[in-house]
Amino acid sequence: MKTSERIRKSTIGRSFFRNPDRVTERDRAAGHWSNFLLHLYPVKVRKVEITFKYTAFLGVASVVLFGILTVTGIFLMFFYVPSPANAYGDVQTIQNQVAFGQFLRNSHRWAAHLMVLAVAAHLARVFYRGAYKPPKEFNWVIGVVLLVLTLLLSFTGYLLPWDQLAYWAVTVGTAMAAYVPLVGDQVQELLLGGPTVGAPTLLRFYVLHVAVLPVALVAVLTIHIWRWRKDSMLTMDSDQGDTDA
Amino acid sequence: MLDPDPRVIANKRLLGVVPGKPGVGDRKEPAEEDTVMVWPNLLIRHAVTALVVIVIVVLIAAFFDAPLREIANPTNTPNPEKAPWYFAALQELLALFHPLVAGVLVPGAIILGLVALPYIDRNPSIDPRKRQIARTAFTVFMLLWIALTLIGFMFRGENWSWVWPWEEWHGEL
Repeated sequence: MKTSERIRKSTIGRSFFRNPDRVTERDRAAGHWSNFLLHLYPVKVRKVEITFKYTAFLGVASVVLFGILTVTGIFLMFFYVPSPANAYGDVQTIQNQVAFGQFLRNSHRWAAHLMVLAVAAHLARVFYRGAYKPPKEFNWVIGVVLLVLTLLLSFTGYLLPWDQLAYWAVTVGTAMAAYVPLVGDQVQELLLGGPTVGAPTLLRFYVLHVAVLPVALVAVLTIHIWRWRKDSMLTMDSDQGDTDA
Repeated sequence: MLDPDPRVIANKRLLGVVPGKPGVGDRKEPAEEDTVMVWPNLLIRHAVTALVVIVIVVLIAAFFDAPLREIANPTNTPNPEKAPWYFAALQELLALFHPLVAGVLVPGAIILGLVALPYIDRNPSIDPRKRQIARTAFTVFMLLWIALTLIGFMFRGENWSWVWPWEEWHGEL
């Protein structure tokens, strides 16, 4: 008996996994139903869904990048105070004095850029295989919301190092909000907490970046994945050509 | 509809037989041989994807440091002033059109257009040959957007003038 199997079949393993066997298809299906993380998955999928060509695994790559960002982001939060007097110095401390600080800050930054790319590529891949067609229309809409949330997360995080790059990129970015007719100036002031980027902006962007937007993203992502699971056994029109219609 | 004569079999009662209806949309069940178990077929692929993504991030993070310029200074505006790269296309449009068009109408139309796409494109076929209009339109939009992003990101220098990235580099990540 393999070690992993022995662990699963022990008293504690049984209490944890409930269905320790992974031999027959029925065992594995039971494993899905009794496991919190696995229950995000369907028990079976169409064969085409496991091919690289079909999805390029961009959705799961986006989720993994979000996971990396959560872990590295929490690490950075331990050493960072969102005020103009502290922020820049804290980032320098993270880079120069905190163990693995530079590496984890790098990971956070590059994973953020990669996540924007992965989510955009996921959207394109879904478009080209026509996976937004009925009855999956609304999951596409949820996906667009996730893209916007990803961009907002990336943009709010951009300000936090409080260097010249951050300050002026956010000045340019939020200046666009001022062009909205009628309410533009109010929208800009709501974002900035004042006429220009300053201490209130940093605090607002920080709260949005570490609390509001991640929670919103996880909530919407859960619905996105849940709908994907529900639809996982759908045969789309002309999946097998028109002959079976 | 009530069954006129429900048959009682040992505590079980057949209430009636009705024609089946799909649970979700116009559901067509795939044939048994067209499906695979998620465990292990999909799980192993997702695990490999996760490892590949982690390795990519670790490698990039090990060899390239995240940028950190001098401390923010509201009195010293850099030239050029650049938005993050994913807004570079919008910033490039801002240099070409009225701010109301480039800053509000275009991004608004893109988001609304993406949201509305499945309700505009009612062609049920997913066969690439039968959806050439949709594919062409999307491809043209994507290529335009990528081109504008690259121009705003790399090909713009002082005062938003045209530069060649191999002569002067102004891209900021």
